[in-house]
Amino acid sequence: MNYDYWDRNKGMQLARAYVPFQRLNEVFDPKEALMKGTLFPELYMPYKRRGEDLNGGRYYE
Amino acid sequence: MEVDIMSREQKLLLLEIMEYSFALVETNLYLDTHPYDERALKLHNSYSQKYNELLSLYEAKYGPLRYTQMSGCPWAYINDPWPWEIDFNVI
Repeated sequence: MNYDYWDRNKGMQLARAYVPFQRLNEVFDPKEALMKGTLFPELYMPYKRRGEDLNGGRYYE
Repeated sequence: MEVDIMSREQKLLLLEIMEYSFALVETNLYLDTHPYDERALKLHNSYSQKYNELLSLYEAKYGPLRYTQMSGCPWAYINDPWPWEIDFNVI
Protein backbone atom coordinates (compact mmCIF):
# COMPACT_ATOMS: atom_id res chain seq x y z
CA MET A 1 0.00 0.00 0.00
CA ASN A 2 2.16 2.78 1.31
CA TYR A 3 5.43 0.92 0.90
CA ASP A 4 7.01 3.54 -1.29
CA TYR A 5 5.50 6.49 0.55
CA TRP A 6 8.61 7.40 2.53
CA ASP A 7 10.85 6.80 -0.44
CA ARG A 8 8.82 9.09 -2.64
CA ASN A 9 8.87 11.89 -0.08
CA LYS A 10 12.46 11.55 0.97
CA GLY A 11 13.89 14.92 1.86
CA MET A 12 10.51 16.61 2.00
CA GLN A 13 8.78 17.98 5.07
CA LEU A 14 5.32 16.97 6.13
CA ALA A 15 2.81 19.81 6.50
CA ARG A 16 3.19 22.00 9.56
CA ALA A 17 0.41 24.02 11.07
CA TYR A 18 0.87 27.22 12.97
CA VAL A 19 -1.46 29.58 14.81
CA PRO A 20 -0.43 33.16 15.50
CA PHE A 21 -0.61 34.08 19.18
CA GLN A 22 -3.70 36.13 19.92
CA ARG A 23 -3.26 39.55 21.49
CA LEU A 24 -6.01 41.31 23.34
CA ASN A 25 -7.59 44.10 21.34
CA GLU A 26 -10.96 45.77 21.65
CA VAL A 27 -13.76 43.44 22.71
CA PHE A 28 -17.48 43.30 21.94
CA ASP A 29 -19.78 44.10 24.81
CA PRO A 30 -21.24 40.91 26.35
CA LYS A 31 -24.60 41.31 24.59
CA GLU A 32 -23.04 41.58 21.15
CA ALA A 33 -20.54 38.82 21.98
CA LEU A 34 -23.27 36.30 22.79
CA MET A 35 -25.08 37.08 19.54
CA LYS A 36 -21.90 36.85 17.45
CA GLY A 37 -20.47 33.82 19.20
CA THR A 38 -17.20 35.47 20.17
CA LEU A 39 -15.99 38.23 22.46
CA PHE A 40 -13.15 39.08 20.11
CA PRO A 41 -13.84 41.11 16.93
CA GLU A 42 -10.74 39.66 15.25
CA LEU A 43 -12.25 36.18 15.61
CA TYR A 44 -15.64 37.11 14.23
CA MET A 45 -15.65 35.48 10.82
CA PRO A 46 -19.18 34.53 9.84
CA TYR A 47 -19.79 32.34 6.81
CA LYS A 48 -21.58 34.14 4.01
CA ARG A 49 -24.62 32.52 2.55
CA ARG A 50 -24.06 31.80 -1.13
CA GLY A 51 -27.54 30.73 -2.13
CA GLU A 52 -30.02 27.96 -1.76
CA ASP A 53 -29.84 24.66 -3.60
CA LEU A 54 -32.77 22.82 -5.13
CA ASN A 55 -33.33 20.64 -2.08
CA GLY A 56 -33.82 23.60 0.17
CA GLY A 57 -30.42 23.31 1.81
CA ARG A 58 -28.08 26.22 2.02
CA TYR A 59 -24.52 26.57 0.85
CA TYR A 60 -22.05 28.49 2.89
CA GLU A 61 -18.60 29.56 1.77
CA MET B 1 -48.86 27.19 22.13
CA GLU B 2 -47.05 27.43 25.40
CA VAL B 3 -48.10 29.84 28.04
CA ASP B 4 -45.43 32.42 28.64
CA ILE B 5 -44.53 31.91 32.27
CA MET B 6 -41.76 34.45 32.55
CA SER B 7 -42.19 38.18 32.72
CA ARG B 8 -40.29 40.40 30.34
CA GLU B 9 -38.27 41.68 33.25
CA GLN B 10 -37.26 38.16 34.32
CA LYS B 11 -36.27 37.20 30.79
CA LEU B 12 -34.14 40.30 30.31
CA LEU B 13 -32.32 39.61 33.55
CA LEU B 14 -31.72 35.97 32.62
CA LEU B 15 -30.51 37.03 29.18
CA GLU B 16 -28.06 39.44 30.75
CA ILE B 17 -26.77 36.63 32.97
CA MET B 18 -26.28 34.48 29.86
CA GLU B 19 -24.40 37.31 28.16
CA TYR B 20 -21.96 37.72 31.03
CA SER B 21 -21.67 33.97 31.41
CA PHE B 22 -20.55 33.73 27.78
CA ALA B 23 -18.15 36.67 28.10
CA LEU B 24 -16.59 34.83 31.06
CA VAL B 25 -16.11 31.68 28.96
CA GLU B 26 -14.23 33.83 26.46
CA THR B 27 -11.96 35.53 28.99
CA ASN B 28 -11.45 32.14 30.68
CA LEU B 29 -10.19 30.56 27.46
CA TYR B 30 -8.05 33.59 26.60
CA LEU B 31 -6.50 33.64 30.07
CA ASP B 32 -5.69 29.93 29.91
CA THR B 33 -3.12 30.79 27.25
CA HIS B 34 -2.32 34.34 28.43
CA PRO B 35 -2.21 34.03 32.23
CA TYR B 36 -0.17 37.22 32.73
CA ASP B 37 -2.30 39.51 30.55
CA GLU B 38 -3.36 42.10 33.08
CA ARG B 39 -5.83 43.84 30.80
CA ALA B 40 -7.58 40.53 30.18
CA LEU B 41 -7.59 39.79 33.90
CA LYS B 42 -9.15 43.17 34.60
CA LEU B 43 -11.80 42.48 31.99
CA HIS B 44 -12.46 39.03 33.41
CA ASN B 45 -12.75 40.34 36.94
CA SER B 46 -15.18 43.06 35.93
CA TYR B 47 -17.34 40.47 34.12
CA SER B 48 -17.09 38.18 37.14
CA GLN B 49 -18.24 40.86 39.52
CA LYS B 50 -21.16 41.84 37.30
CA TYR B 51 -22.10 38.18 36.74
CA ASN B 52 -22.21 37.43 40.45
CA GLU B 53 -24.25 40.54 41.15
CA LEU B 54 -26.75 39.59 38.45
CA LEU B 55 -26.98 36.01 39.74
CA SER B 56 -27.66 37.17 43.29
CA LEU B 57 -30.24 39.65 42.08
CA TYR B 58 -31.98 37.02 39.93
CA GLU B 59 -31.97 34.36 42.63
CA ALA B 60 -33.28 36.76 45.27
CA LYS B 61 -36.18 37.67 42.99
CA TYR B 62 -37.00 34.46 41.14
CA GLY B 63 -35.43 31.52 42.97
CA PRO B 64 -32.25 29.48 42.60
CA LEU B 65 -30.43 29.06 39.30
CA ARG B 66 -27.80 26.88 40.97
CA TYR B 67 -28.43 23.64 42.82
CA THR B 68 -25.60 24.63 45.17
CA GLN B 69 -27.77 27.40 46.67
CA MET B 70 -29.75 27.03 49.86
CA SER B 71 -33.49 26.52 49.62
CA GLY B 72 -36.58 26.83 51.78
CA CYS B 73 -39.17 24.06 51.87
CA PRO B 74 -40.17 22.79 49.39
CA TRP B 75 -36.97 22.42 47.35
CA ALA B 76 -37.11 25.44 45.02
CA TYR B 77 -34.63 24.40 42.34
CA ILE B 78 -37.27 22.36 40.48
CA ASN B 79 -39.67 25.28 40.07
CA ASP B 80 -40.69 26.39 36.58
CA PRO B 81 -39.67 27.36 34.06
CA TRP B 82 -37.41 24.69 32.61
CA PRO B 83 -34.83 26.06 30.19
CA TRP B 84 -36.68 24.73 27.14
CA GLU B 85 -39.89 26.45 28.22
CA ILE B 86 -38.40 29.91 27.86
CA ASP B 87 -39.18 31.68 24.61
CA PHE B 88 -36.51 34.31 24.08
CA ASN B 89 -38.00 35.22 20.70
CA VAL B 90 -40.77 36.95 22.59
CA ILE B 91 -39.37 39.43 25.04
